[in-house]
Amino acid sequence: MSILTAEQKQLQQTTKEFVAEHIIPVAAKYDKNGEFHPFLLDAARQSNIFAMAVPKEFGGLDYSALDQAIVLEEWGYGCAGMGTTLAASVLSADSVLVAGTEAQKKMFFEPMLRGEIGSFGLTEPGAGSDAGSGKSTAVKVGDEYVLNGTKCWITNGGYASVYVIYALTDPTKGMKGLSAFIVEKGRPGFTIGTTDHKLGIRSSNTVELLFKDVHIPASNLLGKEGDGMKIAMKTLDMARPAIAALSVGLAQRALDECVKHLQQRYPDPKVPPGQTLQFKLADMHIEVEAARQLLYYAMNLRDAGLPFSVESAVSKTLCADTAMRITTIAVQLMGSYGYTSEISKYMRDAKIMQIYEGTNQIQRLVISRAVLAPAPAAVAAAQKAGK
Amino acid sequence: MSIHLTEEQELIGKNARDFAKEYLDPIAMELNETGKFPADMVKKMAEQDFLGLFLPAEFGGAEAGFVSFVQVIENLSRSCAAVASIIVNHALAAYAIQRWGTPAQKKEYLPGLAAAKSLGGFAVYESGPTPGVGPDALTAIKQAEGWVLNGAKAFVRNAGKADVYVVLACTDPAAGAKALTAFIVSAKTIGLSVGEPAETMGLKGCPVADLVFQNVILPETALLGSLNHGTAIVSETLAVGSLAEAAQTIGIGQAAVEHAAAYSKTRVQFGRPIAALQAIQTLLAETMTDCHLARLGLIYAAQLLDQGEPFQLEAAMVKQFLARLGSKMLVDSVQVEGGFGYSETMPLPRLFRDIAGTTLLDAPADFPEKTIAAALLT
Repeated sequence: MSILTAEQKQLQQTTKEFVAEHIIPVAAKYDKNGEFHPFLLDAARQSNIFAMAVPKEFGGLDYSALDQAIVLEEWGYGCAGMGTTLAASVLSADSVLVAGTEAQKKMFFEPMLRGEIGSFGLTEPGAGSDAGSGKSTAVKVGDEYVLNGTKCWITNGGYASVYVIYALTDPTKGMKGLSAFIVEKGRPGFTIGTTDHKLGIRSSNTVELLFKDVHIPASNLLGKEGDGMKIAMKTLDMARPAIAALSVGLAQRALDECVKHLQQRYPDPKVPPGQTLQFKLADMHIEVEAARQLLYYAMNLRDAGLPFSVESAVSKTLCADTAMRITTIAVQLMGSYGYTSEISKYMRDAKIMQIYEGTNQIQRLVISRAVLAPAPAAVAAAQKAGK
Repeated sequence: MSIHLTEEQELIGKNARDFAKEYLDPIAMELNETGKFPADMVKKMAEQDFLGLFLPAEFGGAEAGFVSFVQVIENLSRSCAAVASIIVNHALAAYAIQRWGTPAQKKEYLPGLAAAKSLGGFAVYESGPTPGVGPDALTAIKQAEGWVLNGAKAFVRNAGKADVYVVLACTDPAAGAKALTAFIVSAKTIGLSVGEPAETMGLKGCPVADLVFQNVILPETALLGSLNHGTAIVSETLAVGSLAEAAQTIGIGQAAVEHAAAYSKTRVQFGRPIAALQAIQTLLAETMTDCHLARLGLIYAAQLLDQGEPFQLEAAMVKQFLARLGSKMLVDSVQVEGGFGYSETMPLPRLFRDIAGTTLLDAPADFPEKTIAAALLT
């Protein structure tokens, strides 16, 4: 389906080398301590990789969707926690790409090009899958908005310098009253709350963001008042494949480590593991390869400017479920060795892939709506899918 | 075939549940964090007869059988599977000694094990795939002064805390896996040391480490069963272990689905509790079903064992079933709780970590399938 260009193969190779040198050796340590790795900020400064989605005219790397997936896959291979840090920063940039004016893009991307990172704040304690039911408000006062409320489970929240924050400009309208804003670190009244300790992706920073009478210029509003939900959904369409890419990398890593382990345990090629195990490995390979190709296909659609919303949801769901299944089998097949080594981290990391950036249940809602769409649309969808 | 529990078995299960609620619920989260061996709790459980449950009364056991034993393990695991793991691994040593021990060996070890004055450990695995074959395989060579043991056992649970281990050693390196023999080794034996405790994903508090043997000298009376009969001892004992681990898995899964169900009733999204969403109900229903069917298979296999019937095939099928579906119970339960369920301050991450430990397949990882297919094909 998707054959990488020479440039893309080169990008993949360079990223593999980067990950092997900087991420793989330290992943277990930062997972254990549950700490954010400050090296990531150095990496951002040195390689601009956190600005990979930023267009050329703003000085960014201007990576295509497939290029970004290639990079994230390798980061997921090295450490899904650190990969999450990168993915979340790209996610915040996506919101600005979707709805920002030239001035807003410049304002948001400049810090990123200096090596600072971004963060995306939509979720609230009472508004997870039901993203439109948030309580945070933004009230217009003169040429400013005044923000109040709490965001939770916000990736990169403690280390970002620019944020895209969603708040209600008209609470009476529910999700139609939701708007998106750029908020800079250090605004008076904007503080970081508690840090979450998670089952996995423990080196990624997940915090509460607290807003108490935070004044921001009216020019920080992305799009128009009430555009928030639309912007968030478009952003997530773009960003979901990032989770698919991390998942593919994570699944590939679990498979590779499993194979390496079995080769050590069965060093004589004339006495390989039995077919039960051989075929399990074959199944794992089939699943990860199928997931990867579906992801690349969704990225091809996006890069070609074609609709990709359903494929985005499909790839996120399949890749996340695949990562969960493969990492589980890897731990299981490696027995006590898997249970007492870094292998078990992959399984813990994989679980979040099914949850964040839209749970796999929300994805299935999107997908089943498309599947059940009235006949003409279904025909069009089938044609689009090349069937 | 009947899978009804007797009144006594029901009562033993209920007693374990009450005990777990009172004593294990309060410590489970902390134990998961610290991983500190819960010595006091082991004593308390011994007072309840949990450590000598299936051992004969003449040695101080409760002689309550294996259906009762798996009831206890499931009910403890609903609160804290790590503590249950300590009992399970203790029970493997106790089982092997009561099943294959000489009268003198039984008299020497079983009263202590039944009363938990001594804790048991069972050491089978090595760093290589087949015990007796790898570079640091444990060997036992007959010499003038007795059996001389050298080598190492890997991933031994209760290591460092157990007082007595049943270990598998190779008595003829040339014959490799065909010459495996079981020995009873006191933890205090000169030359026996315990490696660094391993960091485990879960079941924290039940220690895991290597046992290292350097010229450990054992008398003839340490040999358990007959010479080169070790493989049969291990395979039957591990089948008992599969039942105990299945009970742990079912306990963990039951706790998870109950927690997820309770959570789903309180979590409001889209204007109503998520429990009202059929997608959530399906996740809960599948987990509940897997848990129930596994429990039936487990009780049936434990009844066979209690009746002295062959039970290894049934044990292997329970293991195979839960190897496929055990972890899924937690994958789906955490899914119901979403971001909340992923936070280590909530109970499900602990259960997620634990269930990966009760459903793993130690080498050879394909033994359940081999056992089951062999029964069908021969």
